[in-house]
Amino acid sequence: MTELTAPNVVASSTRSDRRRRIVQNLLRGERPYMLYIAFVILLVVFSLSSPWFLSVDNFLNIGRQTTLVSIIAVGMTFIIIARQIDLSVASTLALSGMAAALAMSQINNSWIVGAVAGLGTGALVGLINGILTTQLSIPSFLVTLGSLSMARGLAMMVTNTKPVIITNETYFAIFGEGTFLGVPVPIAWTLAAMIVGILLLHYNVFGRRIYAVGGNPTAALYSGINTKRITTAAFVLTGTLAGLAALVLSARSHAARPDVVQGMELDVIAAVILGGCSLFGGRGYILGTLFGSLIIGTLNNGLVLLGVSSPMQLVIKGAIIVAAVAFTKR
Amino acid sequence: MELSGSVAAESLPSTSLVMVSAINKRFGGVRALRDVDLQVRAGEVHALLGENGAGKSTLIKILSGVHSLDSGTIEIAGIPVEFDSPAKSREAGIAVVYQDLSLVESLSVADNLLLGREPRTAFGFVRKRALMVRAEAFLKELGIPLDTRATVGSLPFAYRQMTEIAKALMGEVRLLILDEPTSSLTSDEVRILFDAIGKATRRGVGVIYVTHRLNEVFEISQRVTVLRDGANAGTFITAETDMKRLVNAIVGSDRSVLTGSRTEPAVKRELDPSPVLSLSNVSNDRLRAVDLSVRKGEIHGLAGLIGSGRTEILETVFGLRPLESGAIEIEGRRWLPAGPADAIEQGVALVPEDRHVQGLVLDHSIERNVTLPRIPHFSRWGWMQQRAAARRAESAVARLSVKAQGASSLVRTLSGGNQQKVVFGKWNDPRPRVLLLDEPTVGVDVGAREEIYAVIRNAARDGSGVLVVSSDLVELIELCDRISVIVNGRVARTLVRGEIDDAEELHHLLQIYQASGLSTSQELSA
Repeated sequence: MTELTAPNVVASSTRSDRRRRIVQNLLRGERPYMLYIAFVILLVVFSLSSPWFLSVDNFLNIGRQTTLVSIIAVGMTFIIIARQIDLSVASTLALSGMAAALAMSQINNSWIVGAVAGLGTGALVGLINGILTTQLSIPSFLVTLGSLSMARGLAMMVTNTKPVIITNETYFAIFGEGTFLGVPVPIAWTLAAMIVGILLLHYNVFGRRIYAVGGNPTAALYSGINTKRITTAAFVLTGTLAGLAALVLSARSHAARPDVVQGMELDVIAAVILGGCSLFGGRGYILGTLFGSLIIGTLNNGLVLLGVSSPMQLVIKGAIIVAAVAFTKR
Repeated sequence: MELSGSVAAESLPSTSLVMVSAINKRFGGVRALRDVDLQVRAGEVHALLGENGAGKSTLIKILSGVHSLDSGTIEIAGIPVEFDSPAKSREAGIAVVYQDLSLVESLSVADNLLLGREPRTAFGFVRKRALMVRAEAFLKELGIPLDTRATVGSLPFAYRQMTEIAKALMGEVRLLILDEPTSSLTSDEVRILFDAIGKATRRGVGVIYVTHRLNEVFEISQRVTVLRDGANAGTFITAETDMKRLVNAIVGSDRSVLTGSRTEPAVKRELDPSPVLSLSNVSNDRLRAVDLSVRKGEIHGLAGLIGSGRTEILETVFGLRPLESGAIEIEGRRWLPAGPADAIEQGVALVPEDRHVQGLVLDHSIERNVTLPRIPHFSRWGWMQQRAAARRAESAVARLSVKAQGASSLVRTLSGGNQQKVVFGKWNDPRPRVLLLDEPTVGVDVGAREEIYAVIRNAARDGSGVLVVSSDLVELIELCDRISVIVNGRVARTLVRGEIDDAEELHHLLQIYQASGLSTSQELSA
């Protein structure tokens, strides 16, 4: 009886209704309140059980460790809301890093050349993913499963699997080791990506269209929306952010290596899903994604501090992710 | 209709097959059913009427074991029963054919019919041939014209529904419940369906027939029960009642009822002679040299069977289907539709056939849906002007009297009629030059239907040219200034209001043209 459930889901100004709505949202994961609570619980548990956990240094540490996942997860949020998936992000990161380092070593050792090459490579991989998915109607799962392998292979081929050393100090400062208004740059870049993501998704025309394409692609098409272009744009955005993550990682390690962050796409997807995105499209929030990736980062960090063995860490992390999703799904 | 009411009535046993007494059901604070009674005899078709929300679905869900009842009793052949699951209801011989079909599209008709009870070998392998033979024998017995080998997904909608009904009759069925079975069938397909129902009742099956189409009630049912606001509003012997009494029972005597053209004299309006939309020689893979014009302020109907090309005409004008040859003009200017975005830019709007699939994002708010086709109009430099969008949505809700708490209500929570109003709301402002409507009142209850007719008439009065496809011939006659009969992708004839004012006549005409159209297509292929 759809008619009967109507009053419960609707916005209303009376106080009791609003309270009921919040409770319902908590339970159904409409907005990721449950996630905030889960995050706080996690903080409390780790603070009580490890003396090193609760400190500014450690939080900055967590922030730095989650940077790569968080930056890419912003793009992945758009992709998953649009009913797609991108498995190639970790490989794209590796390839973009190689492109950035090689471009710098070939052309003037200029950080600008490196940045453009890194971001451009990421965007290009995203564009190819998007075009193959929309123009050939191949499911993005398969397209990006292919590009996961191809991008990684290319990254390894260009130097025959050898790392490329980076020597540009400005590049290190801007993307890896400097601070911006007192904030370490990796965290500043993460915040910048988040803010751009929030603006694009929640306040821009593009975001409206992404939600519509994911909520019902046919209805979006019938409403005059170019669903292929919108979907492709989401892939390009994600690729570009993978390129940004590559700059951050290579600037931090003073080198680009072709074998970095293997399997990170799963952490990214987990963060987005934990953050309340529906795998069926049409629903999700950037802020949720941020908390999703913070939870994964905090888990990694806290379990290390508690001295949990790394195999056991994997088991616990996986179990918590499944439990959290089971708990927050509607 | 071959199924003669009197024959069926003679063979009616006087005792009830199913007896529902004083059923009550609450959902939270809402009383969905209040002391509802319903008796269905063996071999009887019992129509169940009521507006959306009147309690029909709840009653059906109780009979099918989806919901439990709070109080009251259900007896089958005099024995009290209690269902705590759909399986129990099925065991007791109750089969339900829902609007959303429960078939596996990738399997054949035979596989679907015997799904879960396939004949097997000793090793558990399916005996393919035995399965085919059994399915074929069963369909033959029912007289349902279906190819058992056909993949369900490849069948037209009517035949899928036929498969669904056949599947429901496979087991030991005593009561068959049909929930709006004809909402997407053409009139010929409805005949096939009615034949199948007739065959079931002759085997002693009782049928509960839920519908919004009153004319069908008179064609097929022996008795009618009307629900209103969760309570009985009367049970009638069909032969002894009339349309007006039923409508009064459905909407309640306290509400003034517009029953359309029968009570309201058809106003001959002076139409602007200049066409707002004209098609000449329009052809593509489904259309063959379509000539058609819609004038400013005209409501122009397209009648024809499913697959005749009616929907494809709308799709071609809306840019969803490529135009291969011929020309489309909008207000005299030649235009080649490049796609829906281009069509919208030209002032063409489409209310598509399937609002759930094509018209709405169900999990989004009314506001998001209403603003969807015109997102750029609610933005500056690419940034959304949320307040303008919200205002626009609120005004659409008010103007179309969508029954919802506000523009932020999720569309999924609305009734069918209100959802359809939201689809209209997408195209309400600014007024479209050409309004294309595909089955605008499918699955919409009597009251909301009149409101939608008013919306359509207002659009025409404000100067839109309206092109409407409908399988409901009564609806076409009631609404349209002109009706074009579409057969095999071309316009067979265009009728002006007054030439035909009876749905039966129009139906005969359709069949005549269809028959002659078939012969010409055979000539073409020969």
